[in-house]
Amino acid sequence: MESQLNFNIENSFDSRYSFCARQELDELPYSFTITDPTICGHPIVFASKGFLKVFGYSKDEVVGKNGRVFQGPKTDRKSVMEIREAIREERSMQINLLNYRKDGTPFWMLFHLSPVFSKEDGRVIHFVGVQVPISPPRRPRWSASGVVRNGANMCEEGDRVCGNTNIMFGSCRREVCSDTPVELSRVLGLLASESVLDDSSRGLGIEETCEASNLEKQKAEVAINKIFSVLTRHSELTGRFVCAERHSLPGAGILSSALNISLGRIKQSFVLTDPHLPDMPIVYASDAFLRLTGYAKDEVLERNCRFLSGADTDFSTLYQIKESIQTEQACTVRILNYRKDKSSFWNYLHISPVRNASGKVAYFVGVQIEEGCKNQDRNGLCPEMRHRSVVGAVKVAVRSLSMGAGPSRS
Amino acid sequence: MVTVKQVEDDNLVSKGAIPEQLKCPQFCFQDIRIPLYRFSSQSLLDDSPFEGHVCITEDEQSALDSLLLALWEDKMWKGVLRYDVTTSEIKVIFGKRKFIAQLNERLGMDYVPKPEPDKICGQGNLSEFQWTKHQEEFLFYVACGEMAISELIPSAAMPDGALLIIINEIPVEYGHVFLVPCGSDSLAQVLDTKSLEMVARFAVEINNCSFRLFYDCPTAGTSHRYFEACYFPSPLPVELTPVDTFFHEGQRGMRISAVTDFPIKTLLFESNKKFKRMVEVLVEICCQLQEKSIPYNLLISDSGKKIFLFLQMQNMANSGTLSAWECGGYFLFQSRSEFDQATEETMLNKLRDVSLDDEGFQVVKELCCSIADKFVA
Repeated sequence: MESQLNFNIENSFDSRYSFCARQELDELPYSFTITDPTICGHPIVFASKGFLKVFGYSKDEVVGKNGRVFQGPKTDRKSVMEIREAIREERSMQINLLNYRKDGTPFWMLFHLSPVFSKEDGRVIHFVGVQVPISPPRRPRWSASGVVRNGANMCEEGDRVCGNTNIMFGSCRREVCSDTPVELSRVLGLLASESVLDDSSRGLGIEETCEASNLEKQKAEVAINKIFSVLTRHSELTGRFVCAERHSLPGAGILSSALNISLGRIKQSFVLTDPHLPDMPIVYASDAFLRLTGYAKDEVLERNCRFLSGADTDFSTLYQIKESIQTEQACTVRILNYRKDKSSFWNYLHISPVRNASGKVAYFVGVQIEEGCKNQDRNGLCPEMRHRSVVGAVKVAVRSLSMGAGPSRS
Repeated sequence: MVTVKQVEDDNLVSKGAIPEQLKCPQFCFQDIRIPLYRFSSQSLLDDSPFEGHVCITEDEQSALDSLLLALWEDKMWKGVLRYDVTTSEIKVIFGKRKFIAQLNERLGMDYVPKPEPDKICGQGNLSEFQWTKHQEEFLFYVACGEMAISELIPSAAMPDGALLIIINEIPVEYGHVFLVPCGSDSLAQVLDTKSLEMVARFAVEINNCSFRLFYDCPTAGTSHRYFEACYFPSPLPVELTPVDTFFHEGQRGMRISAVTDFPIKTLLFESNKKFKRMVEVLVEICCQLQEKSIPYNLLISDSGKKIFLFLQMQNMANSGTLSAWECGGYFLFQSRSEFDQATEETMLNKLRDVSLDDEGFQVVKELCCSIADKFVA
């Protein structure tokens, strides 16, 4: 199971951009990550060398994790929510965000998020997140020359100074060491441990929002463009083209990133089928479903559920299911199903219609429980209740679909 | 993680629950055996930051979330609810605020459903008939526990100090429930720390960002004390509005902010640490608001990390007070034409009309600072 997940994560990147893209991305001097919203937990599938350096993690500690592990107690919840909203709406955004390095030190960065679309069907394949560390507000005693002296790589424009992250940190450290603790913490809170500063820096600490300068915003844009140029070029090699702008509306049967993420939190076996598509194909299959039936994800998506039936499956039960779907009613049946390896099992199946924001049936959810299976639900719910709990969670997740959001707040 | 006690263990539980101690008059819970969810002894409301809590992982549905959804969906399947709220259309109203509108033609005569718990834990006389009628609306109890991890007991009598979770048969959104604090002081007319702490903890433990809790202060002449909660399809507009922090307790302590540029005067309370103290401060503030006859509402969102306080105008001559979800920017419409014609401007006016004025807001902010200072000192 673990290895399957690791495979999914590697495959998510390699199958789209080829392995060679990794090397080319690593040569870019930026701190960024690529995440896959279609995998459970929306994990990081690629982290650049620059990112690992800035955050102080090794690659293995980061890949497979959700980006929120870099947030900490002082990360503004509202900013986190705005990122969540942007992911939900599958749009780009820039925000000043307080992140934490592995050693626990917080620092301000400009976070730029951009979705990567599939050229073919318009769905979101990945999100690219670029992190540009924000240099601290200029204080009178920091003469520009003083900063520049620390790094040849640094560029200076306007009233701000920025450059290669590591050098920037180095320069701050040197410039500020003689400041009072209050000012020290004000700079980035990087230097001393929190406990030392906790009281003395009251109200002046790292939680004071650091605003990114125009230069930093530009930097993020440049980084995003460079990254996209690598990604699009390599996607041409695999024949699975990606683009930075949505060229076509998401095709039928494609779930939004937000829905994928919400559904990924439900750990039981279930599938969503789309009644508006010919032959009502599966459009989402949970990891537990794949484990139960032995199929891989791409072997079940876009197929009708009937592949689960076999020689001894009762026709009257299949008819009952068909009828409940036609009348848009929920139903519970006991049906003999078959795994990929042809072994059979009794499936205690519950099917229910699920409605979107317009109040119309958008999907049917089918929840499978293998009968006689000893592993009791860890939450202590009986099979009926397990059915209900999945249906409830899916209903909540699907309810926001096609809400027809007006123009975004500008 | 949650442990599950088998049914045989029920007796252990009921020993702790002495019916005579339940001060819900004219009403005896002793025979009502429903599931009981007990919080772990690990109190995330003391000093521990949210992040360190063992039960909370964002990638997975929590046990409490599964339980609530399962029981709610089950009641729906059994026909306890008057209608399926997911058949009601919702939309975002055109404009930068992103107000949300729902068309609910079956809501009945009341714009906002009149909650039933009035009758249950209030002073009303409840006949045996009503008692059995209401029983099917009971979902489960929530109480504090002594175990290291939270646990679910499939069937138990009500322990003292529990929250009773009751389904709202005329739901405003999916999963709409009442949370009724039952126990020694359940008749108190004002918000108390223990109840607010319990529901805040409920929000933390359910750990679903769609889940929101509400409290509307009782209007003059009524006595009720309950919270409401449901799952909202998207964040409420107030949650997306910038804030201006005016009280700050150290780096990680309580923060009180004014929501800027929102049509109804609103404060935001947040705390990464010393959560319990923030609850105490908030309760003290609410008590004083009630004394000053300033109607208010609470909205708990972001898995308990944020508590919004909406401040309304006292004694409105013609219109009643708004519910917490309306203050947050979620409106219900009973007719198709109203729903179709809803504009941002009308919604803004609706909120502006009931909002506390600038002067009053300044007084409340000062009050918050002085109360917060008192607790921090």
